[in-house]
Amino acid sequence: MAQLIRPTAGCALAWGWFSVLIISALAAPWLPLPYPPGTPDLLHLAAPPSAAAAHWLGTDGQGLDVLTQLLFGARTALLLTLPVAAGATLLGAAIGATAGFWGNRGLRVPLPAALLGLAAAMWAAAVPWLLTGPVVLAAGLACWPRWYRRCPVPLDSLLTGTGTLLDAVPRLVLVTAAAGLGASGRALPLLLLFTTWPETARLVRAQMWRVRVQPFVEAAQAAGLPPLRVWLRHCLPHALIPLKSVFPLSVAGLLGLESTLSFLGIGLPPEVPSWGRMLNAAHSDLGAWWVFVPPFLALASTTLALAYIANKSKHSFNN
Amino acid sequence: MTGAGLGPLAARLLRAGAGVGLLVSVLFLLSRQQARTALLQAEAAGLSAAAHPTEAAEQQDIRRAQLHRLGLDEPLFYAQYVAAAPGQPAHWRWHGRRNQYHRWLRALAHGQLGTSLRSGRPVGELLRAALAVSVPLMGAAATAATLAALLLGQWLAGHPRRTAPLHLALVGLQSIPGFALALALLLLFANPDVFDWFPVDNLGVETVAGLPDGYAVATLGQFVLPVLALTLSALPGLALPLAAALRHELAAPYAVSARAKGNSLRQLLRRHALPNALLPLIAQLADLLPALVAGAAVVETVFGLPGTGRLLAHAAATHDYPVLVAGVLLVGTARLLALLLADAALLLTDPRLRWPS
Amino acid sequence: MNLIFRLLPWLLPAALLGGCGAPPPAAAPGTVRIRWAHDPESLDPLVQPNQYATEATNLLYQSLLQIDYQAQQPAPALAETLPTTRPEGDSVLLVTYRLRPAARWDDGRPVLAADVAFTLRLLHCPTLPTEGARAQFGFIRALLPDPAHPADPCRFVLRCRGQAPEFALATGDFPILSEHALDPGHTLRRWPLAALADRPGTAPPDSALARVGRRYLAAVLANKLPGTGPYRLTQWQKDHRLTFERKARWWADSLRPRPAVLLARPHRLHYLVLPDDAAAALALRRHALDVYPQVPAPLFARLQAAGPAARLAAATAPSYDVLTAGFNTRRPALADAATRRALARLFDADGLRRATQAGLGLATVGLVSPVSRAFYNDSLRPVPFAPAEAAALLRRAGWQRPSAAAPWQRPATRANQPAQKLTLTLRYRAGETLFETTALQFRAAAQTLGIGVTLLPTEAGALTEALHRGDFDVYVRTLKGNPFVFNYAPILHSRAVGEGNFTGFGTPASDRLIEAVAAAGPATKAPLLRQFQALLQAEAPLVPLFFLPTRLVADRRLRGLAVSGVRPGYAATALYWPAAPAP
Repeated sequence: MAQLIRPTAGCALAWGWFSVLIISALAAPWLPLPYPPGTPDLLHLAAPPSAAAAHWLGTDGQGLDVLTQLLFGARTALLLTLPVAAGATLLGAAIGATAGFWGNRGLRVPLPAALLGLAAAMWAAAVPWLLTGPVVLAAGLACWPRWYRRCPVPLDSLLTGTGTLLDAVPRLVLVTAAAGLGASGRALPLLLLFTTWPETARLVRAQMWRVRVQPFVEAAQAAGLPPLRVWLRHCLPHALIPLKSVFPLSVAGLLGLESTLSFLGIGLPPEVPSWGRMLNAAHSDLGAWWVFVPPFLALASTTLALAYIANKSKHSFNN
Repeated sequence: MTGAGLGPLAARLLRAGAGVGLLVSVLFLLSRQQARTALLQAEAAGLSAAAHPTEAAEQQDIRRAQLHRLGLDEPLFYAQYVAAAPGQPAHWRWHGRRNQYHRWLRALAHGQLGTSLRSGRPVGELLRAALAVSVPLMGAAATAATLAALLLGQWLAGHPRRTAPLHLALVGLQSIPGFALALALLLLFANPDVFDWFPVDNLGVETVAGLPDGYAVATLGQFVLPVLALTLSALPGLALPLAAALRHELAAPYAVSARAKGNSLRQLLRRHALPNALLPLIAQLADLLPALVAGAAVVETVFGLPGTGRLLAHAAATHDYPVLVAGVLLVGTARLLALLLADAALLLTDPRLRWPS
Repeated sequence: MNLIFRLLPWLLPAALLGGCGAPPPAAAPGTVRIRWAHDPESLDPLVQPNQYATEATNLLYQSLLQIDYQAQQPAPALAETLPTTRPEGDSVLLVTYRLRPAARWDDGRPVLAADVAFTLRLLHCPTLPTEGARAQFGFIRALLPDPAHPADPCRFVLRCRGQAPEFALATGDFPILSEHALDPGHTLRRWPLAALADRPGTAPPDSALARVGRRYLAAVLANKLPGTGPYRLTQWQKDHRLTFERKARWWADSLRPRPAVLLARPHRLHYLVLPDDAAAALALRRHALDVYPQVPAPLFARLQAAGPAARLAAATAPSYDVLTAGFNTRRPALADAATRRALARLFDADGLRRATQAGLGLATVGLVSPVSRAFYNDSLRPVPFAPAEAAALLRRAGWQRPSAAAPWQRPATRANQPAQKLTLTLRYRAGETLFETTALQFRAAAQTLGIGVTLLPTEAGALTEALHRGDFDVYVRTLKGNPFVFNYAPILHSRAVGEGNFTGFGTPASDRLIEAVAAAGPATKAPLLRQFQALLQAEAPLVPLFFLPTRLVADRRLRGLAVSGVRPGYAATALYWPAAPAP
């Protein structure tokens, strides 16, 4: 297989960058920084890098020290963005793989159970008994052997439908609506998690479609292995292959999205430094290159490092 | 597609339609709940403090009159889970056909999308004018990005060593936020201090005689930078997964044996690997539309183009719900159609994928 | 496909190069191009949803009085002179006007008192979106002929409910519309103005009112509503560009001498809607744009530096918008003035002004601009930035800190309440750098004292909602003002609590003083306003931090640029190029 780069040098670099990132992120509160985070220096607003004022990387348009923000931003990226990206990717992969494998007819549940579930949901929504009663009655009747059947769960339609609904609304709108319903900066990770999975899900579903008709899967099914085992052991490893090139991109996308959300006021609280917001702050003062370049380099390096590590792990998987 | 495929496709079309209906209904109901916010914000933007009446009661009367004029004081939906009076326990109430949702549906059935809360203009007119700008912009960007992705994907997969810097550049490009990319292009190529090649001065877009008022046609030069910005922001998301898939195909046994039989790398890529690697690309293409709409909002803002992205972003920011709902209806329909096409294309490219009946 | 693949690498650069080389468009003589950040959205003269709509409306329509930007005061426009007022009894004011006899509609008909009466009636048409204007001009109860000259169709008296001195100028502030164009059958005349104004919202629909309302809305939507202004709207591409052409024959052309508010020098005005500041700055530097009003501070500094080489002129003037922090006085911890005064000392107003406005702007003690010398209370001192003093004041207000790690506490005022803790939430509009810097500065200063401050940047719509609900401890925002009206009742009177008075502040003494200020004539206004500023500083429900500057950059050759603190900050109609002198 052709190699993207020499794995030794590239991955050493990537892991090196990661260790620097992790160490600086964890140690940021104890580093001897000249300026604390979230405190504007009103005497040096949008000041270029200078040793005299001890702003080694300059300050942004609000007088916040770029170096401090960069280090504490690494902390935010490590403790918040990466977990959310990983969580969203896992969620998306699980949903996409489920939808792709079982499709609309693959999974069947007994009709009484389905009806009882529906009735429970109606009861939870305080629907009058006039409507809930017949459903319970129908569930009882469905237990009768003559009417008993297993109805297919349209997993594929449900899951892709949900994803499409989430995706078709511009994220700006979705998040504005969420803010109107009372979501605040504290709920940000959850909000991000539940709005970013559809992309991954769609990709994995498309791949799963391909995998589930491969001869080895059909062989496994013919051998009578339980579907869950076929799914987990035989299909999933192959269906997840495209993720490796997409995960770094989704991290970058999340960092960008987080800055957009900060702009809307539903992002991270402003005293929490983040690379996304630093990039956004560059917008208000275009001449201040020193505000834009450090977070951009940090972001690009992290994305690249992730890409290399993903690439490397794929090689080891293939070998 | 064979005749057997038409049934499922029709069913899927129906489902997609139901999906759009559901989506827009949910958005409509969500947004109407915040109508008061929209009015408050419009007030805050308009009159200065001195022009407001002092009395809280008087101000509330004004707002009640506004809500009444706009028909926003009616119940929202056929049935609602509300309390009869504050403090009492909530229960389901049936409102009948006298509700905002019913009115909206009926207007929609007659092709009326409503009027903008902010400008008082028909939403259809606003959307049409914006589409006249956005469709060429997004269409050109989507075409360019897809072609470039096909080209770059093959190149990246075929010569991984030589193209490592390009790969790096694409990953780097992906991590630049859209506004930064657009601004960088603007500052590089429309700047009297650097390269004054593509004047972005907003005067180049002229109304052409013969077209209804409001239809604008841009000169080619005006569109180059926006299209380039949009293409570049969409490119990595298409090219990188394609390259990964192609590399995966090249490592497959059939490719190795084809290579051993003396096929050139180019033939191998074009004839064998590409058709197999197209699946993820098609899935990505369906994803392109929302990315383009989001990207267009930024690009249109930076380059001062009056397109749909900007219209929607502004409507969301100012809580202009009729425009927003109509815009989402449009984008959602287009997107579901794209997904449908992607599904159909998947079935066409790989007949094995058809569901066992 | 193959061909495309081969050609693509060459096509792209070719396309790139193809667009180059277009020379920067030169301004035609008599044409002025001005930047707007947003579309005016609606050119309904009776609604005017934002400042751009107001600016455009002033080109198309005229009011009785209009603001003279150079003199920064209202001047007669359609009216011949400023109105005379006469009280009647103790609750009615009579305001007498005379329209300029030369004033004409485009079809040559004179502008008459009947048109003014029609416009006032139109405001109350129930189907029109004019609720705001109805509230604003609801105090005008009748339009009567002038008893001294009953036969003169240009003279009239406005009968107003209430006797506030502001009424004299407020009665002249709505655009006059043509009765002949909108209601040729005079169907509205059968309604007395007061009857229309008092018509309840539940009254059955009236066909005449509905017809006139429909005709008005249709004319507004088609941009065909006739006005007496000097310009016609010839093109409006939403979110893109508006073009106004000078009427070839305008009634005021024959006036000698020509008042400043009736100038109309440019033959054509282009308003370019460019939302992005960087793009606008580039267009200005390429001279594809002539006037760039309301430039952000960092950009202004850069354009100013590039000024002489780029043939640009930068200008600034103090505005009447004041950056203000407000406290929610309904919160037990903030209910006493002593605590609020202490917290006010944690805002570094002077440092913020120097840092964010590059030294421009004006320090202030209150809501009255220091530019209004007669009214500004110069015996007060602006609230200093003094954290140590703030701590001392807090202790005097009963706050204590059990340990260095614990928050400030004080016993509750009532027995059954828990002890009060001093931790604050601060709301401001998200994405606004100035507010965010102010909030961060306050938070950092409070943190040194051990006061926890949670910043809640909030999206504009949600912020208004939260302020109305009283869901905040502290807010930071700008209050818009002007040099003519000193009515603080909508933001500080106790009757406005729950609406414009977000702080919830209001004592009988402050209410009396605010009412007295609003009702005071020119002679008694100054001492009352000074007293009001002292009261505001002592009670500190609001902390005015500083007045913001207006910044404008324009082509250096452009003349007639009177930069003013009153929005929009310049008079577009007074601009001209030296080669093409004023007509």
